[in-house]
Amino acid sequence: MQLSDRDKALLDGAEGEAARQAMDALVQLGQAYDAPDMVDIGYAHVHAGMALYKGDVELIEGIAQGGGRMSVPVSTNIANADMGDWQGIGAPDSLGLLQKRAEAAHRAMGSGTSFTCTPYWAGHWPTWNMHIASIESGVTVFANSVLGARSNRDGFFAVYAGMTGRYPRFGLHLDDNRRPTHRVHVSARPRGTADFTALGYAVGQAVGSGTPLLMGLAKRPSLDELDAMGVGMATSGGVAMFVVPGVTPPFGTDEAGAGLPEVEIAEPALRAVFDGFSTGEAEGFDLVHLGCPHASFEEMKDYARLLTGRRIATGIECWITTNRAVHQMARDAGLLAPIRAAGARVVTDTCPISCHFACTCSPDPSLGVTPAPPKTILVDSAKQAHYVRDMIHCPTLFTTSELAVESAVTGRFHPRSLRND
Amino acid sequence: MTDGWHARPVVRGLASGDAMVSRTALSFLGDLDIRSGRVVGQSSDLRGRIVAGRVLVLPETRGSAGAWRFLYQLKVHGTHPAALILHEMPDPSVTQGAFLAQVPVVVLSEDRFWASVTDRMPLRIDAEAGLVQPVPR
Repeated sequence: MQLSDRDKALLDGAEGEAARQAMDALVQLGQAYDAPDMVDIGYAHVHAGMALYKGDVELIEGIAQGGGRMSVPVSTNIANADMGDWQGIGAPDSLGLLQKRAEAAHRAMGSGTSFTCTPYWAGHWPTWNMHIASIESGVTVFANSVLGARSNRDGFFAVYAGMTGRYPRFGLHLDDNRRPTHRVHVSARPRGTADFTALGYAVGQAVGSGTPLLMGLAKRPSLDELDAMGVGMATSGGVAMFVVPGVTPPFGTDEAGAGLPEVEIAEPALRAVFDGFSTGEAEGFDLVHLGCPHASFEEMKDYARLLTGRRIATGIECWITTNRAVHQMARDAGLLAPIRAAGARVVTDTCPISCHFACTCSPDPSLGVTPAPPKTILVDSAKQAHYVRDMIHCPTLFTTSELAVESAVTGRFHPRSLRND
Repeated sequence: MTDGWHARPVVRGLASGDAMVSRTALSFLGDLDIRSGRVVGQSSDLRGRIVAGRVLVLPETRGSAGAWRFLYQLKVHGTHPAALILHEMPDPSVTQGAFLAQVPVVVLSEDRFWASVTDRMPLRIDAEAGLVQPVPR
């Protein structure tokens, strides 16, 4: 593997022990995947340090205390508690305070402490051909497919990439791997972000870890819809990139995908995703969750509009999850007042599957975290439904955003089949 | 008995242990209980078995970007496998979790291996030299 003079200096400890370890790990990763050399990265979206996972906050603290510092712009992924109001969602102080230690460690390292799965809605917007590293598969697919930046589906090593500003050249960092592998004809007509998560989910099931070329969409999807579609396919499949002709840089509207294996996604495939994730009883759900991935400002406007003048039914919690930057903008725009007046809660930094409801984690017993997960969670995202099933192990109900609000207000599930818009 | 099989080192290191052979893909996020190391995933043919200390022989890992965290958590809880032998290259996330957990990983594509490996066969993995060998009992 060809290393630059600075790479070698890092390996010799010229920038400290933390940076030496980071570079050593990245070289091993590059060797594993036959990377010819390293590239400069312009941005990294990195692990938060998760308070519900034993030793995990300490992992981040250890790097910060060992002198680790970020050398490129860095944002932090979703965490295990709302660090502004963990009591509000029923988390014990021990958990909130441990999570705050990860925040302090990241601040010491110079990370932007966004704690979100949608850092792009918080202003982290890498551009065409920029190499980046990302721990969150939704960020990876948005960066590759909408922004034209280059990212693999990374794990913890995004932290090392952020510290060194370097990453081995393999996978989606190579031109050859940024071409469509399947031609997907979309004859379904998705409307709204819930539909687009379901469309993406169906595509991911069909193409696995491939790169789908999406043909037949009636119009250019909005940014929120592109985001929703990407997270759907990154959840059901191992998709890291999709191509929409005329949207995904640098693919023009003439991109035809001749000769590729063909897949059709028709309306029944979308309906099947909604039906498959509607396993709970129509009454008796106790949490309605909106905003997966973390809501954009535009989505906050939609949720505020839907909730204005309404009242969440007794016995039901309604959460809208977003990131800190959008939360601030929503507050400034007067969007929080109607949401709160309706009895709904705006939550930042975390979400149901990332907080103390998750059964798949193993918090230190001394934290006193006793998971009391909801009986049934109603969602407006196929991604959240998938992970509620796998990480909270409780039934789900999945419908459109409008009908999710209607369900929260009436206390009775309104499936997508009832839509009338 | 064969002298061994050549394998591509992915995460370097040495390990030995009894094979646990699966013919289905495994996801480290969701398919394993980190406290016990028990396979709980519905779609895995290892369901109910405990991976701790075993050489896990899998056709492939199922992609999840969170895989690294669960592989590392197995290590934190002492329930991690001794090594992974895969037929296909894993997602970068799995590789990064194995690095953190110091679990050697090799990719072995020789048909001879997949035809002859059996459950509980004692194996030695040299993920420095790229060699997997059966250990005489």
